[in-house]
Amino acid sequence: MQILTGGATHVGMVRTNNEDCYRIVAPLNLYVLADGMGGEAHGEVASALAVETVVKHCIEGQENPSAPLLGEPKPGLNPKSQRLLSAIHLANQNVFQSAEEHAEQEGMGATLTAAWIDGMHLSVGHVGDSRLYLLRTGQLQQLTSDHSLVAEQVRRGILTASEAEQSNLQSVLLRALGTQPEVEVDIEQVPLFPGDVLLLCSDGLTRMVTEPEIAGTLQAEPDPQRAAEKLVEHANEGGGIDNVSVIVVSLKPEPKGWFSWLRRGAQKSAGGNGSAGGQ
Amino acid sequence: MAKLSLMFEQKMVKEVPVGSRPVRIGRSPDNDLVVDNLAVSNDHARVYFESGRLVVEDRGSLNGTFVNDLRVERATLHDGDSIWIGKHHIKVDATGDAPLPYESRRKTNAGSINETMVLDTKVRRDMLQQAAAMGERTQFAAGRIKVPTIVVLSGRTDSKEYILTNKLTTIGKSAMATIKLRGWFKPQMAAQINQRDDGYYIGSGDKVPIVNGVSIPGPTKLDDGDLVEVSGVRLNFIVRE
Repeated sequence: MQILTGGATHVGMVRTNNEDCYRIVAPLNLYVLADGMGGEAHGEVASALAVETVVKHCIEGQENPSAPLLGEPKPGLNPKSQRLLSAIHLANQNVFQSAEEHAEQEGMGATLTAAWIDGMHLSVGHVGDSRLYLLRTGQLQQLTSDHSLVAEQVRRGILTASEAEQSNLQSVLLRALGTQPEVEVDIEQVPLFPGDVLLLCSDGLTRMVTEPEIAGTLQAEPDPQRAAEKLVEHANEGGGIDNVSVIVVSLKPEPKGWFSWLRRGAQKSAGGNGSAGGQ
Repeated sequence: MAKLSLMFEQKMVKEVPVGSRPVRIGRSPDNDLVVDNLAVSNDHARVYFESGRLVVEDRGSLNGTFVNDLRVERATLHDGDSIWIGKHHIKVDATGDAPLPYESRRKTNAGSINETMVLDTKVRRDMLQQAAAMGERTQFAAGRIKVPTIVVLSGRTDSKEYILTNKLTTIGKSAMATIKLRGWFKPQMAAQINQRDDGYYIGSGDKVPIVNGVSIPGPTKLDDGDLVEVSGVRLNFIVRE
């Protein structure tokens, strides 16, 4: 299977600084996106520090699978999920410590959503209200739960989903990285199938663009980079009240049939580097 | 005497006593407390005494009435509560001079609501306690723990019963599927169930599931007791308490 990716971020139409941060780590098939908060420019500090910490910890784990993990291992998790869980706990610690040590950073924090693909397994780690969606057989399915007050009210049956969209309390989070010494991290393991498309996004997208519009854009635009740029454009056309960031990951099935089989064979024998056709 | 203070951010706009007549709150100028904001309905809410207790009642407003951040249709008010209507709030003084027992988080976290903020654990705990108390005070039943379960009625699967614990449950022959189908011609991924905030939704995979005898046109919310047929397997969705 071939994995294609694209990413885009924009400050939006209202704000003056971009507190979002994302990283696509292609060799690892690791994707991390964070949305910072806190006065002045400190939201940027928090989201960048959180993303850097997660990426670094995962790379270390890749190079040395026995590298120490932070926190108790959770039963039932595969090694990648275990590593991701540890990485997000570490990111929480680093942002929290930085805020403690620098008085001007007090109150900074970040949301974080990370996706790590290992073969046909996806590990998802998540804190806050950035989201991970899976587009499969034309259906957009949210693989993360928002840790926001309104989402909790919907889960408790106090608000309906459409009332939550109208609420003026959408910005109130119940969990974020770096605001407490410890944080509860959601981890999900999901099997993947050829043709799946993943979307990581900050709330700047989901507040401006509806889910059917998102699904339509991802289906209409097979190139992940162009799809990412289109989604950002749609968010800005919708008002762009917040920073918007998206990562699109597309799992293309390997071409099947005699012709491609012959072509692959030809590429293998022609090129000295066996992986030349893979990129 | 009990009184209500209309606040915008930290400034008091108006104060009215609550007597034998209801206090009318809304955007139109004939209200007792006029909240001049487009997000507020003309006749938005009322506060009055009912058998010795102070009550707030939403008048079917578009954007809702919130007591300490929980949307209410009708709720008993306590000293120190805050009623939120749009970006304004109304402080409730039920005794006249008693100290406020509940420190509203908005007083400590003063700031624009458009700015993302986090409720720290202590404040959150207080709010969840308040939410539990609200369950008794209003029509919202306190949530019992619900366990969504799929029971296999017929067909070959690797287990007879599955508790849905993940955001996405896949049904199919794939070795990684949660509900594994057995048999030569079963699809890798026949259908999938997505947990959303308001419930569980079944969607098609390689097959279109039939829910209660009807082929689903798109992702469909499952209700307690629903019968699902997909790829020769009959499943029953049950929510256990």
